Amino acid sequence: MSRIFILTPLIVLLIICIFSLAYLLSGKDPNKPPSALLNKDVPIFESSSLYNSKNVIKTKDIKNKKTLINFFASWCSPCKIEHPLFFEIRKKHPELYLLGFNHKDPTSDAKKYLEDDGNPYHFVGVDSDGLIALEFGVFGLPETYLLNEDGVIIYKYMGPITKDILKNEIEPLL
Amino acid sequence: MSSLVGFLSLVFAIGINFYLFLSGYIFKFQIQKFNLLIRFSSLLTLLSFFSLMYAYLVSDFSNYNVFQNSHSNKPLIYKISGTWGNHEGSMLLWLSILSIFSFFFSFTKNIDENFQRLTLIIQSLLHILFGLFIVFTSNPFLVNSILVNEGLGLNPILQDPGLAVHPPILYAGYVGYSIVFSIAIAGLFQDTDVEWLYVAKKWSLISWTFLTGGIALGSYWAYYELGWGGWWFWDPVENISLMPWIAGLALVHSLMMVRGEQAIKKWIIFLSILCFSLSVFGTFLVRSGILTSVHSFAADASRGIFILLIFFIVTGFGFLIFLLKEPQKSNALNLLFINKVSALVINNILMIIATLTILLGTIYPIIIEVLYNKRISVGGPYFNSTVIPIMIPGFLLMSIAPILSWQTNKIQNSKKYVLGFIVLSILVLIHSYFLDYNTWGFVGLLLGFWIILASIIAIFSTYKFKFTIKFFQIINPHIAHIGVGIAIVGITCSSVFQNELDFNLNEGDEFNVNGKTVLFEKIETTNQINFQALRGKFLFDIEKNQSKKIEAGKNYYPVSKMITSEAGILHQWNKDIYFILGDQKNNEWFVKVLINPFVSFIWLGVIIMMYSGLIAVSRR
Repeated sequence: MSRIFILTPLIVLLIICIFSLAYLLSGKDPNKPPSALLNKDVPIFESSSLYNSKNVIKTKDIKNKKTLINFFASWCSPCKIEHPLFFEIRKKHPELYLLGFNHKDPTSDAKKYLEDDGNPYHFVGVDSDGLIALEFGVFGLPETYLLNEDGVIIYKYMGPITKDILKNEIEPLL
Repeated sequence: MSSLVGFLSLVFAIGINFYLFLSGYIFKFQIQKFNLLIRFSSLLTLLSFFSLMYAYLVSDFSNYNVFQNSHSNKPLIYKISGTWGNHEGSMLLWLSILSIFSFFFSFTKNIDENFQRLTLIIQSLLHILFGLFIVFTSNPFLVNSILVNEGLGLNPILQDPGLAVHPPILYAGYVGYSIVFSIAIAGLFQDTDVEWLYVAKKWSLISWTFLTGGIALGSYWAYYELGWGGWWFWDPVENISLMPWIAGLALVHSLMMVRGEQAIKKWIIFLSILCFSLSVFGTFLVRSGILTSVHSFAADASRGIFILLIFFIVTGFGFLIFLLKEPQKSNALNLLFINKVSALVINNILMIIATLTILLGTIYPIIIEVLYNKRISVGGPYFNSTVIPIMIPGFLLMSIAPILSWQTNKIQNSKKYVLGFIVLSILVLIHSYFLDYNTWGFVGLLLGFWIILASIIAIFSTYKFKFTIKFFQIINPHIAHIGVGIAIVGITCSSVFQNELDFNLNEGDEFNVNGKTVLFEKIETTNQINFQALRGKFLFDIEKNQSKKIEAGKNYYPVSKMITSEAGILHQWNKDIYFILGDQKNNEWFVKVLINPFVSFIWLGVIIMMYSGLIAVSRR
């Protein structure tokens, strides 16, 4: 009888470890809650260009082509890390439309950032009050969304994308 | 340069521990030499830690860790605290504290040589495990590959004096249990006498006192920095610290039974292993980033797996030895209807149930997400409705437990207690009849005051007052329980009887809080060294000459583009008036005022508990 009692902690330990391990290995990240928007239509948005406020992009403009949407800001240091990868994507997949949303950033800072580090996007939309990010359910910068030709979100990544993620998760979908 | 010194001394320290672990027990070299080596490796670990701190002090951005987490504009104190304000540095702090405990333990007198050696060997094993974890997954001494002259800054929410000291004190509590763990394991191997139980008691009291301080500081910080008006949120990270705290409390109490020669060695060893396991489990949950909370740090799966492995090895090793080397039968327990032994056993059972309840609530979301891929969160309602009722019988018992006899059922002066309880019940009932009646409020107040009253009756009817250290040592259990009673009163009042007022105000408006007129003077923005401050200035009680100034607002940290809220709190002995400045809309400012009665009692209660912990350490 008392043996069973003494065995209990080991059994509990095993259960806790198995579940924690399963959690860690499943690649889940608590900072990345399952997205409610995945496999749903892209939210309706409208945004003007960073360089020309008369130039406006709307939801319907990005239908009929695969689109990669990236939320970034000049003040976001992880964005700086992933930034060069977008040039790589653009070079390898010229058919992919790259849409950048500049999130809560003074225009001058954003322009300077894209001047210094280069501009990989086909279009840079302004999201100065963060309303578009709110529609997309952006959790923290940077965040990247992949849309198919029908404007359905087929992939979402929170945090800076890396070479591995690009190769193993984004490119197979292209 | 300092990074190199730090890294090399860390590796060297781990090397020494390897040597001690492998050869110490086999060749059994002299205990003096063994202790010297342990102390040397401890000093090396500390040297490593201080090299990192030095890199922070001089803003050495060639160190990647400093670059990521510091900024040359930061005030000195946050440069220092930046050392542990990040994952890598905090793990090094963890290891350093482990070393400090080993260092001091090596000076323990009146303990069997072999026992001491064995305990320290287990400490060495822990040092190796966590040292390797740091070297391979969380090295704070990496070189920055790019040349920079400015860093990225410390998370603004951590730029707070309370939070600067919170991690070291909390860690001292967590890691202190490593010594208790090692002693218990050594006790399994060399179960010779009960002497080691006294040593274990001292160390578990020290750890528990630190843990109490650490938790209280964290919760005080949450109170004034998060700006939600509460001080406990059942946040996963808070729960993680609460579990070893309660288990540690059970341990301290079951170690009391050594005096009544009723010690259940098996149970004490179980609790010792459990306390440290829960500490390591807490470290795992926080450091793997598996839980979301205000404490979330950047996660990295490899780190999580490594530290899960450490948790598995340490806990599995502990409980496996516990299974294989069962201690000899100890004395049969002298359980009576109501004597000290039965009270302590009941107390232990309740505390373990409470710990397990919290554990279940904390890991439940993980299990659910693995099984059903759904995200749920377990919060206040679950914990309030499970943990609190479990603790209530324990609170009732603790009021009289210290004066119960070891051998008999008799309670001295039992009439006084019955009379006291009846009078108190009537008073509290009348009080709550005239105020809003609230069941939880009634129960909480009655329990809190009853514990205080019963302890006071016990002190004055059992002992003769003498102003000596010995007297304070004797009445210490009662003092500790008075601390708990005061804290319960504070907790009950501030949560049940909290009052919330909302206002929309223009500058220059006057409004009424608690019968006092408050003037909303103006909004002011100032530039501080590393942030911009927006402050709403209030004058409380303007009818009096000595009206009190209150400032509530927000800070904006340009380096990390973050905004933190800064509550304005007017502390009075019987209540806190808590101002929160909200957003501006249509030229009006949203101002929330919370009246938190008797919050100060919580902190007072905690201070008394910590004082008792220290006094208890001094007593054999």
